Order: sequence, then structure tokens, then C-alpha cells
Amino acid sequence: MAASAGAPRHPAATFPPIPLYKRVYGLGSIYGKTIRDSRLSFIIAAGMFGGLALVLGAAIGTVFPTPEVRKELGTLVGSMPAAMVNMFGNVTLMGDKLGTLGGYVTWKYGSLFSLGTALWSILALSGTLAGESAKGSLDIVATSPFGKRRIAIEKIAAHLTAVWAALVVLAVMQTLSAYAFGDASLGDRIPLESSLAYAISIGFTAMFFGGLTLVLAPYLGRGGSAGIASLAMLLTWLVSGLDVGGPLRHLSPFYWTYDNIPLVGIYDWGPVLAVGIVGVVLIGIGVELFGRRDLGVTTGLSLPSLPDGVLGVRGPVSRAFGDQLPRALAWGLGLAFWGAMLASLVGSFSDTIGKDPGLSDAFGRIFPGFDFATPGAWLQLYLELFLIVAGFAAATFVSKWASDENDGRLEVVLSTPLSRAMWVVAGGVGALLAVVVATALWVVGILVGSAAGGAAAGDALLGSASFGLVAAAFVGVGVAVGGLWRTSLAAEITAVIVIVTYLIDLLSAPLNLPDWFHQLALTAHMGQPMLGTWDPVGIVACLAIAFGGIGLGAWGMTRRDVAR
Amino acid sequence: MTPVIALEKLTKSYGRSRGIIDVDLEVQQGEVFGFLGPNGAGKTTTIRTTLDLIRPTSGRATVFGIGSTADPVAIHKRVGYIPGEFTLYDRLTGKQTLEYFANLRGGVDPVYQASLIERFELETGKRFKEYSKGNKQKVGVIAALQHKPELLVLDEPTSGLDPLVQQTFFNTLRECVTDGATVFLSSHILSEVEKSCNRVAIIRDGQIAKLDTVEGLRDLAHHQVELRFAGPVPSDAFAHLPGVSDVVAEDHVLRMRVAGTITPVVRAAAQYELLDFVSREPSLEETFLAQYGREAVEAGSDGR
Repeated sequence: MAASAGAPRHPAATFPPIPLYKRVYGLGSIYGKTIRDSRLSFIIAAGMFGGLALVLGAAIGTVFPTPEVRKELGTLVGSMPAAMVNMFGNVTLMGDKLGTLGGYVTWKYGSLFSLGTALWSILALSGTLAGESAKGSLDIVATSPFGKRRIAIEKIAAHLTAVWAALVVLAVMQTLSAYAFGDASLGDRIPLESSLAYAISIGFTAMFFGGLTLVLAPYLGRGGSAGIASLAMLLTWLVSGLDVGGPLRHLSPFYWTYDNIPLVGIYDWGPVLAVGIVGVVLIGIGVELFGRRDLGVTTGLSLPSLPDGVLGVRGPVSRAFGDQLPRALAWGLGLAFWGAMLASLVGSFSDTIGKDPGLSDAFGRIFPGFDFATPGAWLQLYLELFLIVAGFAAATFVSKWASDENDGRLEVVLSTPLSRAMWVVAGGVGALLAVVVATALWVVGILVGSAAGGAAAGDALLGSASFGLVAAAFVGVGVAVGGLWRTSLAAEITAVIVIVTYLIDLLSAPLNLPDWFHQLALTAHMGQPMLGTWDPVGIVACLAIAFGGIGLGAWGMTRRDVAR
Repeated sequence: MTPVIALEKLTKSYGRSRGIIDVDLEVQQGEVFGFLGPNGAGKTTTIRTTLDLIRPTSGRATVFGIGSTADPVAIHKRVGYIPGEFTLYDRLTGKQTLEYFANLRGGVDPVYQASLIERFELETGKRFKEYSKGNKQKVGVIAALQHKPELLVLDEPTSGLDPLVQQTFFNTLRECVTDGATVFLSSHILSEVEKSCNRVAIIRDGQIAKLDTVEGLRDLAHHQVELRFAGPVPSDAFAHLPGVSDVVAEDHVLRMRVAGTITPVVRAAAQYELLDFVSREPSLEETFLAQYGREAVEAGSDGR
């Protein structure tokens, strides 16, 4: 008997049910698989959030231990140029509460939590659908018995689960930190509901920009949507912070929630909910567009490609550098933008401090060894923040180098007369050249910003090279890990080492950890290069780690199997 | 004469997982050597160990008389390789990719490179990530051939290529051999292996199960015999004959597999009124399937 068309092949078949835990975490559903894939980013984000919350709590108790110093902090912030103050929060509304743990964290680091989380959503949500479409892996998922909308919803839900879980960690650690390290008499206690409100605000902002990415992704693809959404995030933040007026600021979720400062007990729920609603609507539009449009077909509007001449086909070093160049330019342009912005502000800031001996004295006591009447001192403070960025930039360069092996190119490359050691050396040199490009652009940013702000960059120009030194050292670490062991984890291990070394540097003083422990951090050996004070040990260490790491990687590569 | 490839008890283990075990084979100058085996049998592991992409646990591989781990660069200079799975540089066009691999080899004959591009009808202006699977494979094929290597190591080289391009590929391969190249070909396109190869090795569970000429291997397989009689015939009369298996009776037709000589079957059939006798010579594909299928010929490695 002929089977009728469309008849099920297993009409009576029953299959064992998929366990719930596998649907939630594992290979039992698209959601579970995406959660499983997000575990590393969740661990890093939750670790960073929780760690920073603890560190900041510990730090403020040490750096600002008395009511008098807290008052000086308020005076200091009040004396800053309005543009700089507003970038980081509504100081006017905070008033005296600026001197509390919640106020200080909001003012100094609040934007970083918001921007960082939003960036995570942008990168994840541009990759989860558009990136997979481009790779072709989504074609297979999309031919499973689920509609495209359901696939999108499950993937987005998984990402949001990871984000919200990390934010819950932040909220809990924030409250724990406030109770462990804060001084109740100075108003440092932060109730859990305040921390949760803070996390909700950050989460909604991330959904806003993640949703924007999803809307753009079907048209622009992964790179284009992530680039435009990141630019939109930075622009709306700057437009709000710099208070330049104009209609554009009304589009900024940062401007909408400017009066919401939950860590000091000031709530403005209406705008926060508005941000969340817009985020949900954007995500909904993104899901609908994904459902309606052709899979993996974009409008062709993507980031401009590099001219043929710099792509590098002359040899292994030029190829490695050509491969790194787009990434180096992306980092460099971003750093140049930030460098220019900060350098343009520090001139007027140092002038203000210089004209007020009392203020200068207060700052000198808070940060011994810094002369805040000079722009270099402020740039040095920012450099120390940027050294973690240098490490992450290096990790991405390592990742690019490692992709030769992880993506399956190395097999073809090594079937030519190129030796394994030479491949590692060429890749390492290519990554170091990428560091040079990114650093050079950052230096240009500092130069332009200083000139625009009327400050003499002076030592800071040369000092900016320390960014490159640290990045080069982390490139060495990554290449060594990749060569000796495996390239598939080289970038991740580099990133973890960056975080650990940064936390060691940050935690040692506030937690009164032994000096030898502090000295383990590479960044503890950099001196104050923006002020012209270099630590030769740091320079030698960075160069030794950079080149030694590449050498070690080359040696290791000759001894292990090439992965497929 | 020194064989182009010589594997002596080549073994690669991945911890608990099996890789390859005591693989012995030699490939002579000018030979097209087929390497067959089901997925996971150890074909790619053998190739990667031979090219020093992975290191042997024990045993030895030499190519052109050079130990694979002693001087892999000297070997690679004379080899063209197409991996079973590969990707290249997304941002480079086909032309740039070929130029880069030509540069890594110190340059290639541009006329020959252009002739390959023309022959395979590769549109070289597109970026690698924009190519279809087949066109990506063409880039890999041309990159492996363009420097006129002495040895071609090809792991599923026609994967993703349409039948016409496959034909072009095998024609090009034959020209390479005429020019003096040696080919080590791992493929599932058995008809092409049958047409192109001098000798074939079949690998199973990491070990060489058979190694012989194509004809020799074909003789190892069962013949498919079909007998059509004028009236009913008892299948038992054939089922117990030496070398006979899988006897199926359908009306007046008997079908069976016969290993080795078919003389006993002919003698038994002659006792009945026989209308037709069909004995089909097995293809290499059937040999391969027999080696791995339910009716596998005697398991083991007696043909090594």
C-alpha cells in the first residue's frame, strides 16, 4: 500500500519526555542551549558586577572614612565643570547624599554599569540571530519544528535571563558591600530594594539598546547593527550628560532617567518604566522583523571595508596584521573618542583645582602623590581605569589570532612552507602591531582633546604609550596560552587574567592586602606615566611578557597537535 | 625507489578515544592512491599525522623520505593539501586568497594559476565569506594545485562541487599525474576513486582493513547472482553451497550472493531448466559496502 502524501512516519510513536532541567539549561530547548552558551559571559559579567560592588564598598570606607572627607568630596564635585559632573549623574539632586556610598557609586561608576550592560546586550543580541544567520547555523535551527518568532523569543529570553541574573548578583552584592564596608552613620547603608531598583534601571537600559540592535540586525547584519546601536548608546549618553540641549536629548534613555538615583533612595519610576516599555516594544519589533524577513539576507549596508592594500597578502606578518586591522581601528577609534572627550575636560578641571588651594589640598589628601592642578594627574587617574580596557583589547587581538586555528584555517596555512613557530611569531607580531595602531589613535585622541580643552598634554602624550605596553603584555600572555595549550581558550584566559590583575591592583589598598600581593598586578608597576614618571620595572616586565610570551607560544606550538 | 609516502606502524591515540592504530602503507611515485573508510574510521587522522598537523603517538611517517616530524616545512614545500573541512579569510577575495597562498610558497606560475581559475570558473572578485560552499571548495582546490606540487593530499576534495566541476577536478588530477605528481586521495565518490586510483586502502576502526589494487579489491567482494528458472526451484539446493549466502526466492527467480568462485552455483543451476543467468561484477562501492555492511567480508586485516 502506498503511503498517502504527508502521512506521519511515526503516527503512534512516543518519545521519552525531555527533562525540565535540560529545557532550562542544556540541550533540551533553544532557550536552554542559549543559556548554556551564555554561561561564560554570565560568569564574567556577574563576577565583574559583584566584584566591583564589593571593591567599591571596601574602597570608599578607606578613601573617604570621615564626614569631613565626604564633605570635601561634595565640595570637590560641586566645583567641577558642569559638563563633566553631569556625565556621571545628577549631583544637584543628590545633594549631600553624594558623600554616601550609594551616591559615590552612582556618580562615579553608575554610567559604567549601565553602558557596560547595554554593550553586552548589543553584542549578544546582534550575534544571537544576525551572527548565526550569517554563519548559516541558524538555517538548521530554523528548519526545526518551531516558527522563527519562537526561535527569536527563546534566544532573546535566554540572553535576558543571563543579564537579569547578573544584575541580581550586582544588587545583592551592592547591598552586602554597603552593609559590610559602609558606615551607617554616614548614610552608607543601601537597602536591597534600592539595589534592585538600581539593577532594574540598568536592565531596562540594556533592553532598550538590545532591542534597537534587534530592529537593526535584519537589515544591517551583525556588525552594522552592533556598530550603529553602540554609537547610538554613546551619543545619547553624551547628549544627556553634556547637556547640549536640542531635541536629540529627548531620545536619550539616560536623559529620561536622569532623576532616578535609587542607590540614595531617590526614585523616578515613570521614566524608568518608559525605558523598559520602549525596550520591550523594540524587542517585539525585532522579533517580528526576524519572523518576516528572509533569513540571513541583509540590505548590504555594512561597515565600510578596508582598501585592498592594507589587507595584507604579502606574507604571514602582513596577513596577521591585515586580519587584525579592522579590530585595531575599532578599538583605536573608540579609545580616541574617549581620550579626546576626557582630555578636553581635564584642562578646565585642573584649572579649577589650581585656583583653589583648599580644594587642591583636599584632593591631595584623598589621592596622595597626585598634583591635580595639572591635566596629567587627571589623565593618570583615567589611564588607570583604561588599563583594564587595554587588557580587554589585547584579549580580542588574541582571539583574532586564535581564530586561524579555531576556524579551521590553520590546517591550510600550515600545509604551506610556513612553520608552526613562524605562524605564532607572525600572529604575535600582527597582534602587537594592532596594539600599536589602537594606542596611536588613543594618543591622537588625547592630543586633539587636550588642544580643544586648552590644556598642554605634555608628558601625557608619551605616557599614553603605557596603554600599549600593558596591552602588549597581555597579548604575550594570550599567545603563550594559545601556543602552549590551546588557542580556543587563549582569549578567555587572557580576559580572566586581565580581570584578576585589575582586581588585585584595585583591592589591595582598600583591603589592606600585603604589598607582595599587590605587586603581582602588572598594572601596579606602571608608575605615573601621564605625569612623566615611569617605572622601569613595569616597562621591562611588559616587554618581557610580550616578547617572551610570543616566544613561549612559538615553542609550545611546535610541540602540540594542531586542533581542528 | 623511496616511496613518496611511507607509514610504518603509525599510531595516534587521543587519550581514551581511538585514533589510528599501526597503520602501514606506502604510496609510490606517480601513483594515485585511494583511501576509503566510513566516517570516523581514521582517514583524516592518518592524513593530518602524515602532514605533521598532529604528532604520532608511535610509529613513523615519512614523505619524500623525510620524517614528518623531522622537517615538516621541507615536506610542505612539495605538497598541496585540501583538508576535509576548512575555512579561509572572510575578508579576502578569492583572488587575494590565492595570491596570499602563492606568496607563502614564494610565488607560483601566474599563467597556470589563471588557467586553473578559468578551468574551475571561479569568480575571484568576491570575498571568501560571500562564496557558496562549492566556490569556497574551488578556492581550496586551486590553492592546493596552483604551485604544481609533487604530492597532492586530498581529503574529500570534491565536497560541495557540482558533478561538472567534479569532472573538471578529476581531469585536472589526471593531468597532474601525467606531469609526475603523486596523489593521496580520500574520497567518498567511489566511482571516481575506481576510475582514478591505482591502489586503494580501506581503513576501519583506525586500522587498515584492506589494501590492494582496485581490481584486487573488487574480486574480494560478493558477486550478485540472479537465476531465472522455468519452474519452481528449492532454494535449499543453493543455500548450502560454498560461498553462497542470502538466498532469496521469488516466483521462479533465485537471488543470492556468492563469494569467491561461482562454479558450484553454475553446476547446481545446470540441474534445472535455467532460462537466464545474471552475475554482476561488484563495483568498488559494493566492495566498500560489503567491507562495512551487514554482509561484511571476513573481518580482519588479512589483506594488509
